[in-house]
Amino acid sequence: MSGVSQLALLFIGAALINNILLTRFIGLCPFFGVSGNMETSIGMSLSVIFVMVMASTATWVVWEFILDPLGVGEFLYIPAFILIIASLVQFVEMYLRKASPVLYRAMGIYLPLITTNCAVLATATEAAKPGFFKMNIALGASLSLGEALVYTLGVSVGFGFALITFAALRERLELVPAPRLMKGTPIAFITAGLLSLSYLGMSGWFGL
Amino acid sequence: MLILKAVGALSVIGVITSTILATAAKRFYVEVDPRVEAVAAALPGSNCGACGNPSCFMSAEKMVSGELEPNACVAGGQSVTDAVAAILGADTCDAIAMISARHCGGGDRAVRAYEYAGVRSCAAANRLAGGPLACSAGCLGYGDCVRACPFDAIHLDERGLPVVDPAKCTGCGICVKECPRGQITLLEMVPESAPVVVRCNAHDKVKARKANCSACCIACRKCERECPADAIHVIDMLAVVDYTKCTGCGTCVEVCPQDCIDLYGRAAAVDTMAADGRGGGAITNVTGKRIEAGA
Ligand code: SF4
Ligand code: SF4
Repeated sequence: MSGVSQLALLFIGAALINNILLTRFIGLCPFFGVSGNMETSIGMSLSVIFVMVMASTATWVVWEFILDPLGVGEFLYIPAFILIIASLVQFVEMYLRKASPVLYRAMGIYLPLITTNCAVLATATEAAKPGFFKMNIALGASLSLGEALVYTLGVSVGFGFALITFAALRERLELVPAPRLMKGTPIAFITAGLLSLSYLGMSGWFGL
Repeated sequence: MLILKAVGALSVIGVITSTILATAAKRFYVEVDPRVEAVAAALPGSNCGACGNPSCFMSAEKMVSGELEPNACVAGGQSVTDAVAAILGADTCDAIAMISARHCGGGDRAVRAYEYAGVRSCAAANRLAGGPLACSAGCLGYGDCVRACPFDAIHLDERGLPVVDPAKCTGCGICVKECPRGQITLLEMVPESAPVVVRCNAHDKVKARKANCSACCIACRKCERECPADAIHVIDMLAVVDYTKCTGCGTCVEVCPQDCIDLYGRAAAVDTMAADGRGGGAITNVTGKRIEAGA
């Protein structure tokens, strides 16, 4: 397979077939926390895409040039990555606040939430550390920086896609005459389960 | 050796990131209006969202920039309003407390389209072809609101209509959410000082409305014409009170041929009426109608 179609496959596989929220169940707290409202879920999705891509880049660089050469990555990768992601988010927040108040308003309140988000850590680890990337694509043991970026972009776009569809569903669910005990979160859980089933239906496409 | 390397690696990362952050904090420092911080400190800080903003800090920003009035914090009440107003140097304004009001006077006067014999619950009845009432906006009278009220402030009266006790109502709005007719504002939150309330929220054609219920607003516009404060208007064939203008004189209550405007509110016009020597004090007004308010 040529390089480009390989990357396209990587993207689709990460976004849809191995959707981080609905088939791998990582990062479920924002999935339920902010999906009650379309506007907030769009803001959250944008922030996640932004932060994930930056975090993966940073962790990839750190792994490649600090942790791996020193041979300490095997046991140090979690604290190191958390440290990097947390300060990165802090930095981005400060920068946005100064440079683009509009963007800061749109994403600002979600950025601190993402700092310790498991989805971000998981994706950054998969992208940077060899052996964590599990998708069935012939890519070699560790991802190159370009592949890592495409993969992270796929994951975060899939995150946003699932979050926004779910928010749309939940906004309609508000108007549904659900039984009283089912109203709100319970019926949202059931809907999420059904949504997840439909995503699982995609597993096996392209052998992924 | 390995330990040294590990410590070294983490220290290097730590030093690099903290240097970057420290420089960034300096370079990207944004001046925040000290008043914003002061106002934010005065607000409850629970980020409840009742004012329509995602966080207390945001509403603080808006209060300072003048987009929001100092009394915008619903949860905080008068003390917070005063504190905010003091910081902003504005004249303090009253916190707007709300109470629940029912926009339907039908009760036993509303025509039934069919006999409903199911569960005695408004939600259940409402789901059966829109409820047994011929009027699609009327109060079903099975008292879901009564059961939902945590403060025991609503009771069904002999006409089968829920009556809000303005003295007990805290303005939590739970009854409004609970009422299955909620989307047509049968129960609505009105300012606690609201002196009158229109007891009808039907939007059908007037003719159909009259056939459905003998207590409805017939859109005759008498109230609109007589109101000295220009506070009541027939909008979409229904009388609607503008509480920012209403002085509580009670003219509309007197002139309404359908008796579908009532005096209302916590302290409301009851005293005015009694002082006038008209009507029977707190129980009835000049039209001989019951006064729910404050009585
Ligand atoms: S106001 Fe609504 S909830 Fe209360 S009795 Fe009437 S229909 Fe039922
Ligand atoms: S006078 Fe009475 S019936 Fe006429 S519009 Fe006003 S409220 Fe309705």
